[in-house]
Amino acid sequence: MIAIPWSKESKQYAVLRSNANNFAASELAPLADELENTVDSPLFWKVVEKAGNMGMMAALLPEKLGGEGVDPYSLCVALEECAVESAGFAAALLFHNAALVPLVYTDRKDLVEEFTSGKPLATTATSGSLKLEGERLSGKATFVFNVLEGCPVLVFPESPAGQEVVYVKTDYPGVSVKRDPYPLGWRVSAFASLDLSGAEPYFALKEFQREAKMATERVLYLGLAAISVGIARKSFEKAYAYARQRYQGGKIIIEHQAMRMMLARMLCGIEEGKAAIRRACEVEELAPAIMAWRRAGSNACQAAMDGVQIHGGYGYMRDYGMERLMRDAKYCQMFPAPEEEGLLKILDMVEERG
Amino acid sequence: MFQRDLGETGKRLFRDFPVLRTLWESGRKRGVAELVETVRKAEEFKRNYALPKALELDRRMEEEPEYFDWEIMRQACRYRFLSIFIPKQLGGTAAEFMVANTSLLMDELCSGCSGMALAIGAHSLGVAPLVTSGAMGHWDRVLGEIVEGERKLQPVTMAYAITEPSAGTDVEEPEFLEVAKLSLEARKVEGGYLLNGRKCFISGGSEAKYITVCAALDKSRPLETWTTFLVERDMKGFSSPRVELKMGQRASHAAELLFEDVFVPDSHVLGYEGDGMANGILMIMAASRGPVGAIATGIARGAFEHFLRWAKTKRNGKRPIDEDRIRMNLADMWAMIQENRGLYMSNALLGDCIFKKVLFAPVMVLTLSLPAIFRTNKLTNDFLNSRYGKAMVNAIMRYYIKDEDITQLLETASLAKFSCSDNAMELCSRALNLMGPDDSEERRWVEKCYRDAKLTQIYEGTNQLNRLVVNNVRFEETLKVEIPRPFKKGVVA
Repeated sequence: MIAIPWSKESKQYAVLRSNANNFAASELAPLADELENTVDSPLFWKVVEKAGNMGMMAALLPEKLGGEGVDPYSLCVALEECAVESAGFAAALLFHNAALVPLVYTDRKDLVEEFTSGKPLATTATSGSLKLEGERLSGKATFVFNVLEGCPVLVFPESPAGQEVVYVKTDYPGVSVKRDPYPLGWRVSAFASLDLSGAEPYFALKEFQREAKMATERVLYLGLAAISVGIARKSFEKAYAYARQRYQGGKIIIEHQAMRMMLARMLCGIEEGKAAIRRACEVEELAPAIMAWRRAGSNACQAAMDGVQIHGGYGYMRDYGMERLMRDAKYCQMFPAPEEEGLLKILDMVEERG
Repeated sequence: MFQRDLGETGKRLFRDFPVLRTLWESGRKRGVAELVETVRKAEEFKRNYALPKALELDRRMEEEPEYFDWEIMRQACRYRFLSIFIPKQLGGTAAEFMVANTSLLMDELCSGCSGMALAIGAHSLGVAPLVTSGAMGHWDRVLGEIVEGERKLQPVTMAYAITEPSAGTDVEEPEFLEVAKLSLEARKVEGGYLLNGRKCFISGGSEAKYITVCAALDKSRPLETWTTFLVERDMKGFSSPRVELKMGQRASHAAELLFEDVFVPDSHVLGYEGDGMANGILMIMAASRGPVGAIATGIARGAFEHFLRWAKTKRNGKRPIDEDRIRMNLADMWAMIQENRGLYMSNALLGDCIFKKVLFAPVMVLTLSLPAIFRTNKLTNDFLNSRYGKAMVNAIMRYYIKDEDITQLLETASLAKFSCSDNAMELCSRALNLMGPDDSEERRWVEKCYRDAKLTQIYEGTNQLNRLVVNNVRFEETLKVEIPRPFKKGVVA
């Protein structure tokens, strides 16, 4: 494996990265293919438990609520390392951690304990259209991962009073789960859409709704950017290794300039993504996080597509592991919002700030 | 014949392909009508079969990669899509504009399901070397069986096997073949050849009854000894032990083919020993890379149609198409599709100019018009499979088709292939970015198109190779295709 040399981090993050890297290499890597093919398997929960032991299940919550109290960059480091081996697993961790963010604005330690007690994970649903009227939720939440029975889902419905922050449980009356076992990517976690008709909220935030929503979205964008970097790194690793052993046109293909160009472009993409995440983590604002997401997501897609191209026919076949990266990368670009909507949001926020 | 006789399909095609209207108005009405009829049948296939089944089949193939839906091929028989490369005198449906016909067929089918289209197209790719090599000794038997199978709705299919485990791009370019690491080797023995080794990723290879196979007679001199064989599935030692689980285009299998002392008689050499690169690869690539551009265009159009439907559907009280950015993206996407169509259609019409000369040459028409017994009796068959017979066919071909024609065709085909497939990938990717996390059937379709489109950048030579071919033909003039010379062994390109 080739080391990507430029990113320098403080000792604190370097240690964290090393630990997360060890976890990913020892726990996730051997199971990545198996996890991809079975949702809600005992294996998945075994790895979740180990991730919990590493402090990845309530990473952002303060210690007084039973969390680890780490900063978003630390979570990004952990997600990036996990995504190198399984972007789907990293995404499952991200949706869970993002779902806990609004609890920072409460003193509900009991909820934290409940949501982090193991199966099922919590999740965040940012897409779709939901309304909260008369203490009842109606509408649709789309593109939701981690959806198992009894799963607490964080949603952001509109109400006459404005933006709300609400948790709803998938086994509540009025909640209907429509599963889709064939999403393009992130196959590790259970994918579904939710139809809500008059469902009772499990818990609703009474104040700081706007702040809670923005903080959650920021974590989502940053986390997805980090997962994108992980995918780009894995794409580079696999493509580089393949290019050094595949013979074509009288030489190993890494000696062909077209291959070197693609590999070099991947390196640029990885560094750009990392730098954007670091910058975005320094300010507690949403716009830089969206910028990092756009840059890292787009670079990951390109890296994964180039990785498939370098592998040729082998890259297109499931057995060789490259095509999964291409599928996973695309969801990093499409989620949590259409790319151009994210773009427009950046300008809106800058204008709002004045 | 009047323009209105071409119906709605004709109206649409004239609007989408102004060149067809030009051809029509310059008197090529019969040829254009044939194209319209092909597209009309393809539209019917898409509407009645591809669209209702494609997503379900794609998912089933993910669970059961070995499953093959023979109904695709039976439907193809019904519409006579399996004989589009077979001359009409032999019962086929080869049109006046044969390459354009194939391209339009692929474009239309792929806008429904490129996996199903590939199952059909890979068969035609297998037929192509049999036709272009002028191996008339096999035409009545093999091509006749395909036509008969169509009539009975019992599909008989062919496949084309060139890719090897350690040589993909290498076997598609002369300079690379010279240094390729090959697996399959054909050893001359009395009365024929023994084939040993493997081919991989062969589209339709696990279903085909006849396979046109390229192999070196001497792996240390592959370019000089590269030869095309006609292999039959029931030949002893031949098997297809494995199919791959692909990311997309799943309705068609990518198979591994195993050759263990497969005896192929002398009569089953298509063309000459050693002319495989010119005759078996470059001539075919010149004819087939353009249609791959059409495949990519069809996938892009399928994605576009689903995206357009999505954009016109109300969500939360408003339609995405009401936003300027969506309208502008739609225009960009349409520009990509039209750019693709221009590229693949100009290649196809050039191909038709070239191949028409030989397929409709008086000597060819006369030979094919004779009752089959004149061609299939042992005497004629032995002659056609002999060096002298092949030399005769070869001389006819060389008389009508010039080296520079095929070289130019290869250039335009390679250009169309990489450009169309890159556009298709960009279009599908952009459509998904615009749709985002939307829970719609349209998004699922575009996701499928995104997976499907990637393969068009890889097969028929990676896009990197195709770019080099364009350079080598156009700017450096280092790649020239030579039509095999009569009696000459080891003809190179």
